[in-house]
Amino acid sequence: MFRLAYKSVKHNPKRLLLTAVAVALGVALVSATLTLTNALSSGFNSLFSEIYGGTDVIVEQVAEEQADGTGSGNEMFAAGESTFDAQDLAAIQAVDGVSGAYGGLQVTATVLAAGFEPTGDLMSSGGPPTQMFNWTGEPDVDRATLIDGAGPAADGEIVLDVDSAPSLGYEIGDSVTVATVDGVTELTLVGTVRFGESNSLQGAVLAYVTESEAHALTGEDGYQQISVLTEDGADNEAVATAINEVLPDGTRAITGEAKAAEQAAELDDILQYIDIFAIAFALIALFVGSYIIVNTFRIIVTQRTREFGLMRAIGVTGRQLRSMILLEAVVIAIVASTIGIIVGYLGALGMSALVEAFSGDLFGTVTLPPDALLWSYALGSLVTLVSALLPAIHASSISPMEALRESATESKKPLKMRNVVGGAITLLGLVGIFVGLYTGVADPYWYVGAGAMALIIGVTLLAAQVLVPLAFGLRDVLTRMFKIDGKLAANNIRREPRRSANTAAALMIGVMLLALVATFTESLKTVVTSQFTQINAELFVLDTQTGVVPQGAMDIITSADGVDYVSSLSINSVEFEGMPESLVAVEAETADAAYDYDNEPDFTELDGGVFIGPDIQDRGVEVGDQVTLTGDADTLTLEVTGLYNTAEDGSFWVEWSTAEQMYEEVGVVQGLVVLDEDADVDEVQADILEQLSAEYPLVALQQPDQLAALANTFIDLILGVISALLGAALIIAILGVANTLLLSVTERTREIGLLRAVGVRKSSIWRMITIESMVMAVFGTVLGMILGVGLGAALVRALEEFGFTTIAIPWIWLIIYTVGAAIAGVVAAIWPAWRASRMDILKAIATDG
Amino acid sequence: MTTTALAATMRGGYKDYGFGDTAVRALDGINVDIARHEFTAIMGPSGSGKSTLLHTLAGLDRLTAGESSIADITITSLPEAKVTEVRRDHIGFVFQSFNLIPSLTAKENITLPLDISGKPVDKAWFDEIIGILGLGDRLTHLPAELSGGQQQRVAVARALVARPEIIFADEPSGNLDSRSGAELLGFMRRAVKEFGQTIVMVTHDPSAAAYADRILFLEDGQIVDEMREPNADKVLDRMKQMGH
Repeated sequence: MFRLAYKSVKHNPKRLLLTAVAVALGVALVSATLTLTNALSSGFNSLFSEIYGGTDVIVEQVAEEQADGTGSGNEMFAAGESTFDAQDLAAIQAVDGVSGAYGGLQVTATVLAAGFEPTGDLMSSGGPPTQMFNWTGEPDVDRATLIDGAGPAADGEIVLDVDSAPSLGYEIGDSVTVATVDGVTELTLVGTVRFGESNSLQGAVLAYVTESEAHALTGEDGYQQISVLTEDGADNEAVATAINEVLPDGTRAITGEAKAAEQAAELDDILQYIDIFAIAFALIALFVGSYIIVNTFRIIVTQRTREFGLMRAIGVTGRQLRSMILLEAVVIAIVASTIGIIVGYLGALGMSALVEAFSGDLFGTVTLPPDALLWSYALGSLVTLVSALLPAIHASSISPMEALRESATESKKPLKMRNVVGGAITLLGLVGIFVGLYTGVADPYWYVGAGAMALIIGVTLLAAQVLVPLAFGLRDVLTRMFKIDGKLAANNIRREPRRSANTAAALMIGVMLLALVATFTESLKTVVTSQFTQINAELFVLDTQTGVVPQGAMDIITSADGVDYVSSLSINSVEFEGMPESLVAVEAETADAAYDYDNEPDFTELDGGVFIGPDIQDRGVEVGDQVTLTGDADTLTLEVTGLYNTAEDGSFWVEWSTAEQMYEEVGVVQGLVVLDEDADVDEVQADILEQLSAEYPLVALQQPDQLAALANTFIDLILGVISALLGAALIIAILGVANTLLLSVTERTREIGLLRAVGVRKSSIWRMITIESMVMAVFGTVLGMILGVGLGAALVRALEEFGFTTIAIPWIWLIIYTVGAAIAGVVAAIWPAWRASRMDILKAIATDG
Repeated sequence: MTTTALAATMRGGYKDYGFGDTAVRALDGINVDIARHEFTAIMGPSGSGKSTLLHTLAGLDRLTAGESSIADITITSLPEAKVTEVRRDHIGFVFQSFNLIPSLTAKENITLPLDISGKPVDKAWFDEIIGILGLGDRLTHLPAELSGGQQQRVAVARALVARPEIIFADEPSGNLDSRSGAELLGFMRRAVKEFGQTIVMVTHDPSAAAYADRILFLEDGQIVDEMREPNADKVLDRMKQMGH
């Protein structure tokens, strides 16, 4: 049996070629992703070893679970609080086996490039992120070796890493501009250092200052971390345990090795999400690919009906036939998956080389991890086998009598059964989506996901029925437009509605997801844009370094010419009923005038109380109730005096003065600047920026429409990334169109030969195939757009409480998709049309002799 | 349209298939004139080259050497696209089987050559053909819904509808029972006698060949004999001499 299957594949490789390419593409996506994340992981692993490997024991604050979600995203490198003091340092120093203990301090600062001109733009902050630490002079602790000049020995001195110094435009002896939370400081560059062995900093700037300078810049007098070196031969684990004995609560000692492993594990958790995200897209691609596989095997089985009938006649059992076809599928799966793995690996190599060229060596050695092999073969084989199953079962039911029949066309079963099943599945899918989106059931994603899946399959089945009258209607139009070529093309689509529908549906899936994302992002853009138009303020103040605008900057802005008032807003973490929540402080008198908040009543009615957001309202808290809120300074019990109605904006809303009682410090996260009536926005903006540039170059000052444009750029970027990831699925779908046509052309060899004999030109044959291809592509795209926009609209509607008020239909994208589909149709037709038009007339019309 | 009495000619026609040891000479110096308004049959045993002669005369295949013409157009020197146009404008075809496009109705199949060239259908002529071939009530049917004889009649109607210079038929009655076959050949003969159509037909069936005005006998790629005013017995005798 295997020999037969193998020979069959070998004998007719062309008809399986595109099927194999489809599988290979999906598999390539899997293997490329896994290879890249593996390389990324190994790259960061070696980074963590460099950071922590030299230190024997690290003493640090025990990381608290990030509570409020307001922290910066880059927790891994962010400066923590300074928990340790000189006494702790001395205590650790005294522990047996410790040869040295060094207090470590990280400074939140940005080294500005030489000649940096602030623009007030949110996106053009000072440059690459800076990691600034105190210099101990101990290489194992500093993780850096002096290359040139000297280490910082006195206040006012700084060293930079060897790559950053020239790229920022500084030489030893130059004055380096450093922006910190409190303003700008000038430090003298006295030397350069190399981080670890190869200075691989993943694009960051590394800087060191003296300990006292670090204390001055941070305004702290302790240490965030203590690095411990042990005596030769000491057991680091034992030393760490001993140190733990003398440490205050909430801190711990851990060996450098263990710390590196801990960080690597944390990163791997994040990378796992990237894997899942990318594999989801690979699965979509393979799902689309499965349509092609089903179609290919169906057509092949039909074309080989006589062959199978003959085999049945000479005594091959139905089961043997079935195994033979499944074996063919296995052969394809193995070959295609192998090619896919290789292509994916090469793609990953290219990608890492590309990234390296632009932003340094982010990746470790790029090797093909075993799980990439496993997943690739597993997914490739599974998809191929499952897809070949139905056609194989069909083949096994072929009767020996079929061998004697004249023509080999798919049996003209009526579509009734298909329609009934398709209708039922479609309905089921719609119900699933409805339940998931609107009834507030638990885990709605499962309902929506399963519903969408059912909808796709249902519509695929129904599409065959739609195609028949559609092609019938199109026949007249196409005949008028393209004469006989158009008529024949329309006939061909109608002839095999199942085949045409499955082919179009493969494209439908990809386009559906595109249209869904486009509808969602378009609506999101509308929401964002309308949010910025609700602002009565002319300017926005934000900080690009820490997220908190320095008070000195606020003072400059408030007193600037043309500024009427600034309404500030602060976001803080608060504890409520044992759970971390967000608390927003507003300047009650001016807030409602500056921005159209979704509150009821106005903030002026706060009256020392608190407004509550939807998630708190959902917990049964009502106006008039008392809530107890804990900040880092004090716990207050406040009366609920109003409501805030947009979800995710904030759980609690209080007056600025209330927040000041609860917190040690209330920083301005966002300032809304309202100008005098006769002031010119551009002038005031330029004027304030000029005043800020000396001391606060990293404060952003932008007009609402500038921010809206920025937000829209981000949204477009997300749309772009997702579209690119769907690219594989779309390419596979287009291959599917080509594949179906290619097999149909083979099937219609004699018909095409006849047309050529009676005088139809090659160009006409070409045009006929192209029209057929375009109709299928555009049909699939239109179906996909209808489903995608529909699902997108349903999704937007379900998110109404998050401020999604309008459903925006991305018309421009829909037009682009349609035009793209037509072009794709032309492209997909190239190979089949080329084959059809150069078909040997004599062979085509040859009868038996 | 034409200035001579010849619908098709071939001079010194050679056709080789394959190369070297496997080379086969299918046509070996053919000189033939096909007169207008005549029904010519080409006969010969299997492998005699009769189908090759038909294909090269009709511009479906190219000669290795020599030249041939249709309606005074020398097609051997024309590029493929031009030959296609000659076929479209001057030639009708009737094959043994698979004559019709399965997705087109009988009527659409008949008017196919006119649709291809964008010429209008001569309604009176169309009706006349349909009447003679008895296809009036079958026009909206798809080929799959027609009997073998009806399918071949549709093919003949298609060949006739554009009034081509010449019709080539390759075993047109080969797949039909004897009654339907006789009917079909009768129609073809009428087309020659009543409408002055020119037909060249390849067959190995003596009784089919007997419908022709003239029979060319082919053997090993050469024309070995010619017979005028044939009848089935004479043809059978001649075939027996050729080793049949």
